[in-house]
Amino acid sequence: MELSESVQRGLQSLADQSVFDHGSFQVLVDVSFRSLLSSHGDPTVLDQPEFKQIDQILLKQSHTAAVTFILEAVKQNADQSTISSSLEELTFSADRTEIFYSAYQKHKKDLECLLASIGRGLPHITDASWRLEYHMKNGQVDKINDSFYLISLNTENEGSSEDINFTCTVEQLQDLVGKLKDAAKTMEKASQM
Amino acid sequence: MEEVDKILIHALKQVGTEVPEEINSVKQFSSELIVEAVVRCIRVIDPGLSSTLATSLPPGMSARFRVGMSLAQACQDIGYKGELGYQTFLYSSEPEIRSLLMFLVEKLPRESAETSDQPTGKSVVLERTIAAAIKAHLAVPWLPPKCRLPLNCETQRQGVMHSFHVQPLSLTNCTKGSSKRHTKGSPPTHGQPVQGVTYFPLKACLSVCVCVQQELPPVAKTIPTNHQSEGDVQLGQQEELAYLQQQFQQLCSEVDHLAVLDELKQRELRNSEKEEKIQVKKKTIDLLPDADNNLLKLQALVEASAKRVVNLASQWEKHRAPLVDEYRRLKDICSSKDSSKKLSEIKSLHEKIRVSTEEAKKKEDAYKQLVTELENLPQDASRSAYTQRILEIVSNIKKQKEEITKILSDTKELQKEINNLTGKLDRTFAVTDELVFKDAKKDETVRKSYKYLAALHENCNQLIQTIEDTGTILREIRDLEEQIETENGNKTVANLERILEDYKAIRQENASLAAKVREG
Repeated sequence: MELSESVQRGLQSLADQSVFDHGSFQVLVDVSFRSLLSSHGDPTVLDQPEFKQIDQILLKQSHTAAVTFILEAVKQNADQSTISSSLEELTFSADRTEIFYSAYQKHKKDLECLLASIGRGLPHITDASWRLEYHMKNGQVDKINDSFYLISLNTENEGSSEDINFTCTVEQLQDLVGKLKDAAKTMEKASQM
Repeated sequence: MEEVDKILIHALKQVGTEVPEEINSVKQFSSELIVEAVVRCIRVIDPGLSSTLATSLPPGMSARFRVGMSLAQACQDIGYKGELGYQTFLYSSEPEIRSLLMFLVEKLPRESAETSDQPTGKSVVLERTIAAAIKAHLAVPWLPPKCRLPLNCETQRQGVMHSFHVQPLSLTNCTKGSSKRHTKGSPPTHGQPVQGVTYFPLKACLSVCVCVQQELPPVAKTIPTNHQSEGDVQLGQQEELAYLQQQFQQLCSEVDHLAVLDELKQRELRNSEKEEKIQVKKKTIDLLPDADNNLLKLQALVEASAKRVVNLASQWEKHRAPLVDEYRRLKDICSSKDSSKKLSEIKSLHEKIRVSTEEAKKKEDAYKQLVTELENLPQDASRSAYTQRILEIVSNIKKQKEEITKILSDTKELQKEINNLTGKLDRTFAVTDELVFKDAKKDETVRKSYKYLAALHENCNQLIQTIEDTGTILREIRDLEEQIETENGNKTVANLERILEDYKAIRQENASLAAKVREG
């Protein structure tokens, strides 16, 4: 994992025993995870009694660095060896690494869900129903023997479902099915890289 | 031979030939199997050549003959440098088939070599993780929304999506003011300048100003923003103005007050200084009546103190000189070339340590990647078993070579001995012959012994000759036995019978074709 200069500095000051002693280190780790996971951001999250002794600018830097590191680790799905080696490079002692990693393990699933839910998504198709229509004649022409499909796709988006209705001829439907098959084949190819 | 056959059969199975389970060696290959194997290999090696070839032998004899010829032609086009003809496929012999199959299997394109050359760059790693993740998601079966368990909700259902927004974070501001408040607690020492004490009150009033300023905007906000009436607005503004002026007056008075305090403190200091001077002057006045004595005493005191100063200075010099020398010495050492060399060495060592840690990290990454690649590679027939066997065979051959050289040297020794002995024998015989012959003319018994000697020599020669003949004959027997074995492997008898049958079949086909031609 490659971290920027400011994040490295913040983490190094977090590892420093003289700046953060054991209790305040634990509290900062908890606070960092909590500030990521709480559903509405809490502006006063750094207002803990253990932090009164620490220079506030340093506290902010360490908090930012810790939060960035956590997000980066969850993004890259880092395993224990990666995290431990990165922390040890930044002069973390073994027990602090242990504390950090156990907290990370506890909250990893929630953080992954959180990161995955940021963004936009298109509706998913869950069901399809069809009807075949046959035009025999209309007011202008006496004999049209033509068949149409009426397709209704049931889609679901973020829990709410809606229907997409359209009509198409047989050739257009074949085209659509061909495109779906192409899409499936592309996914197969992508998974075999 | 069995290992070679196993490798060949495994390679043929990979190409797609259906080799039945009980066949373990090339000797047991039937003609159909041979043809199928060869055709599949040719298909993989060179698809263009194999367009006309089928994997199975046609039933008709002439068709089989044609297929055999075309196969032989195809193999020679690929580059096989041995004798090939339809007979290698239809009436096969083990060594020919083995060499042909080995040639074809070697020609098979090596797919495995390409995958190991892939670069281990970061984008490739990322692509591979993406592919693995997509594969994992594709493997989970799709369920309609009513049947979904929470397990699938990650990939198959969408939760509420958030957009990205920013949240400010604030801290209670208790910055450098706290450190200054601590200094307020310590009592001002005598010599400490007054500024420390005055700074705090100024700062306090400044902070008071700041607080007041912060309070002002809320006051300003309480001004009614809705325009009720001009008069009301003006009234409100005037009230605010009065209040502000009051505040201002307060602040001015506080500042004055503080300035007054400042003056007070300075005056007190000056007073204390003047008091000191007064004390000194009082003492001198006291000493005045007994002026001469006191003067002498004072002079003596002054001299004594001057002497003390000189003494102390000399002592200090004594201490100072060696320290200065020490300092100069150390400075020289520092700046001398040796230490600078050592410094540069230390720097280069640090550099090397850094470089080697980087390399070690890179190699560890590469190792991790290669381990994952190794796990992903398809599990072929174990290479390690083959390499083991190859190494065993190599060591066996080495041992055999040693034994052969030993035997050769033994043989040479024996030959030398034989030559020696024959030479000795001839010489001894010549000498005895002469000796006895000289005496044989005179004595009868000597003549008899000479005849016996000659007969003995003759018989021993014959013995030696027979032994040599036996040896040659034994060698010939061994050669002939080897030839018999190889000829037996050719199964010539069975092949000849088959050739005869096929010949009869071809004649029949020809006859029937000729009859058909005559009829119609």
